[in-house]
Amino acid sequence: MLLEVKDIHVHYGKIAAIKGISVEVNEGEIVTLIGANGAGKTTTLKTISGLRGLTSGSIVFDGQDISKMPGHKRVIAGLGQAPEGRGVFPGMTVHDNLLMGAYTRSGDFAADLAEVYELFPRLAERRTQAGGTMSGGEQQMLAIGRALMAKPKVLLLDEPSMGLAPLMVQQIFSIIEEINRRGTTVLLVEQNAQQALKLAHRAYVLETGKVVKSAPAAELLDDPDVQAAYLGGGLGHEAPEAQA
Amino acid sequence: MKQKNSLEDFRHRLSRYGDGVHDRWLKTPGWQRWIVYALLIVGALLLPSESIGSFMSPYTDWASILFFPIGTYVVLAIGLNVVVGQAGLLDLGFVAFYAVGGYAMALIGTRLGWNFWLILLVGIGLCALSGITLGAPTLRLRGDYLAIVTLGFGEIIRITARNTDSIGGPNGIRAIPHPPSFPDVELFGIKIFKYGVLDPRPYYYLLVALAVIVIILVKRWEKSRVGRAWAAIREDEDAAEVMGVPTFRFKMLAFAIGASIGGAMGVLWAAKAISINPNDFQFLLSATILAAVVMGGAGNLPGVILGAFVVAWLPERFRGLQDYRMLIFGAVLVALMIFRPEGLLPSRQRKAELQEGSGGMGALGAEVPGPESHGEEVASK
Repeated sequence: MLLEVKDIHVHYGKIAAIKGISVEVNEGEIVTLIGANGAGKTTTLKTISGLRGLTSGSIVFDGQDISKMPGHKRVIAGLGQAPEGRGVFPGMTVHDNLLMGAYTRSGDFAADLAEVYELFPRLAERRTQAGGTMSGGEQQMLAIGRALMAKPKVLLLDEPSMGLAPLMVQQIFSIIEEINRRGTTVLLVEQNAQQALKLAHRAYVLETGKVVKSAPAAELLDDPDVQAAYLGGGLGHEAPEAQA
Repeated sequence: MKQKNSLEDFRHRLSRYGDGVHDRWLKTPGWQRWIVYALLIVGALLLPSESIGSFMSPYTDWASILFFPIGTYVVLAIGLNVVVGQAGLLDLGFVAFYAVGGYAMALIGTRLGWNFWLILLVGIGLCALSGITLGAPTLRLRGDYLAIVTLGFGEIIRITARNTDSIGGPNGIRAIPHPPSFPDVELFGIKIFKYGVLDPRPYYYLLVALAVIVIILVKRWEKSRVGRAWAAIREDEDAAEVMGVPTFRFKMLAFAIGASIGGAMGVLWAAKAISINPNDFQFLLSATILAAVVMGGAGNLPGVILGAFVVAWLPERFRGLQDYRMLIFGAVLVALMIFRPEGLLPSRQRKAELQEGSGGMGALGAEVPGPESHGEEVASK
């Protein structure tokens, strides 16, 4: 097992955001965490990447307990993240953003840069453009490409479909599949359950800080429990609207 | 509405002209740049001449105000720029480090009688240490919260100095020694190493030397891995951390470097001033230096220097208008914020950050939309 999250609890002040979540990710898999707003998906991911501390439980990565390791060292250990809301450096060019992704590494990145530009030809066209001036989809591509520059063993993706047009979502998801095919394990957090379940091998359904169901992704596609996790609002992008 | 358009138009033309000059500079070959640098230094050394002074400051002694406030503000602004402009940490108590440097010079100089140069080194070390002391507990805070804590730190230093009788209390310290002189060295009729009471020029030359060293160091840091890490922290701290940047350590480093520069200036200033007291280190000075950095173009060294010069010089230039000069000063600041909201000479990177909405203003704490952006971009953050 490459990444194992064991019964973690996370608090924002006194409020418990995560009340005992356990997730396992095997090498070569795409695993997805789905659930409605406030289910604790992003918090789980932030805890794994080290941006949030945990109250109890542990995170084991590659045989090593990383629960107390600061975030920047987890990158060296092999966890790469494209953060929520993309987190592209707005003032840096596409090229500089990608180089920031390789911050922990030394040596020649030409081959890695070429690979990212090959995966995302759009980024190659925009090489000298400032990150902040690009469209949402392009920024998402940049965030993923930048995370790949660190040569991660596990790629953590936080809602890559957020705010994107359906066509762009398709495109991003097919690239995620390609990245996985080339040997990178992916842990994907998504609100867009339909899309995520089609892509992933296994899935965990989160609801108010707990795992309510885990199963192979294909089995969950028509599962009523998944619909229940979205407060009975049906699947996919209708769900948040139904809440509103 | 029409008026707003013409204003917008003027702003754009101004910024396009600035881009043109910038592009030209980027294409300039290395040797030509060195000539420009050399000319700038020579220009700085020639500044305190009478003929320039009669226009620049008809009401006060030009050489004196070149040292304080102008030169002092410039060096302080360069120091604060490391913290605010490069690492994006809003520091409202920068004067504290200037005070620590000043008091280091005053106390060690009068009590232990050490040499100025030795005190300069010790003062820089002390300030770096106080920067780390302030940073260690507070740099876990972000934005506005950090600003409030640093503001408090600035006041604590001043009030502690005022209430501690063993370091002079409200009267401060008198009879601070000057740097060691070499009265025999004479160049163009000026005794350039004679640090006395009457002639401010030797101090000014010393300040220019300090500024040049500081500029070279800061520029080198900016271009290094450290500078890239600072830029990443400024633009998105969480993203920087997940890129593998040890954000906390680099923020501490920015604080320590900024503090050291402020402290070095404090030592030099106290060595000229003869006496210092806690009221020399008011909050207003922190605010003024911050205004200089933001107005000049945070993150861009030439801009920051220009900003500090303008902020220091304008009130002196219009001293003849007595209290109305502050009115003019305020009007100029407002006009600048209308026509050049990103600063007099902004860096291109900062401009892109500002346009993105929250990125650039993250440096100033609040998530406020930039001049060109709209509310929803910020809301989506």
